[in-house]
Amino acid sequence: MSEFNNRISAQRDILLLINSAEWSEELYGLSSGAIERWITANNIKKQSALIQLIQEAASKLFFLSNKSQEQITDEYRMLSKEVQDLTEKIKREVMEIYNWGQSKIK
Amino acid sequence: MSMHLYAFGSICRGEIDAGSDIDLLACLSEPNQSIDPNKFSIYTYERIRQLWHEGNPFSWHLHLESNLIYSSDGRNFLNDLQEPSKYTNATIDCNKFQKLFIESHTSLMKSSNSMIFNLSCMFLATRNFATCFSLGMGRPIFSRLSPLLIDRKLPIERDIFDILVRARILSTRGYGNPISEVEVRAARSAAPVVIQWMDDCLSKEVFCE
Repeated sequence: MSEFNNRISAQRDILLLINSAEWSEELYGLSSGAIERWITANNIKKQSALIQLIQEAASKLFFLSNKSQEQITDEYRMLSKEVQDLTEKIKREVMEIYNWGQSKIK
Repeated sequence: MSMHLYAFGSICRGEIDAGSDIDLLACLSEPNQSIDPNKFSIYTYERIRQLWHEGNPFSWHLHLESNLIYSSDGRNFLNDLQEPSKYTNATIDCNKFQKLFIESHTSLMKSSNSMIFNLSCMFLATRNFATCFSLGMGRPIFSRLSPLLIDRKLPIERDIFDILVRARILSTRGYGNPISEVEVRAARSAAPVVIQWMDDCLSKEVFCE
């Protein structure tokens, strides 16, 4: 699959995880504007672990999007792996929200 | 440090409305912390030259629709590059965007989770398909309305297409009213038409490759 489609797919995986919890308004994307809107709509603490993880994943995906789509460099592979690891951490955070409720991030 | 700043895209076409953002490009010789990556697409001169050499659609977009707003050396870097190489990737790119459309549509049909993101990706795939298709045919249209403006026009109503546009703006800028269930259903019902249109474009046209 193309790197372009892979990045979209990685973004979708993260959004599906986050939006599987119950929110006043779901997260529409990993752009800074969409994340800001989601934080405000759901009254979430900006310094919560979940927000930090989302912003880190968004920043890495954004960086990858400015790389060549054809050249698979070591840096590209490393960042892709980091996005996968962040996705796992986001999954664990969302699971904790399921278990302990939204007071964890508000 | 050398720097050239450009405006490109909708503002250069005069396509301004509440949903428009201003596309800005920064060409730099080295990283510059004062350039906000949320406001500028940031490229090194080397990378831009590479895109020109590849005949990448973005190089054609910049070549045809950009205006210099600042130059550190009095020169116009993009103008000096002249015309990009011929675009020869239309078939591969169009297939890639059709695949993205189908994946996003499949995800949308599977559950109501992240519907707006999936609609946003369906817009991105449709717009990019039309842009690459038109560039491959030698009559490029870079507008976000390109599927409705190219010679082989996408046969869906403007109000349905506008639902996809709104989803894209929500996803990329966090701006606009959420999309209702009724609107999602309307957009979903247009998906088979889009897939058929992509098939027709790819089967009936021969690109200048």
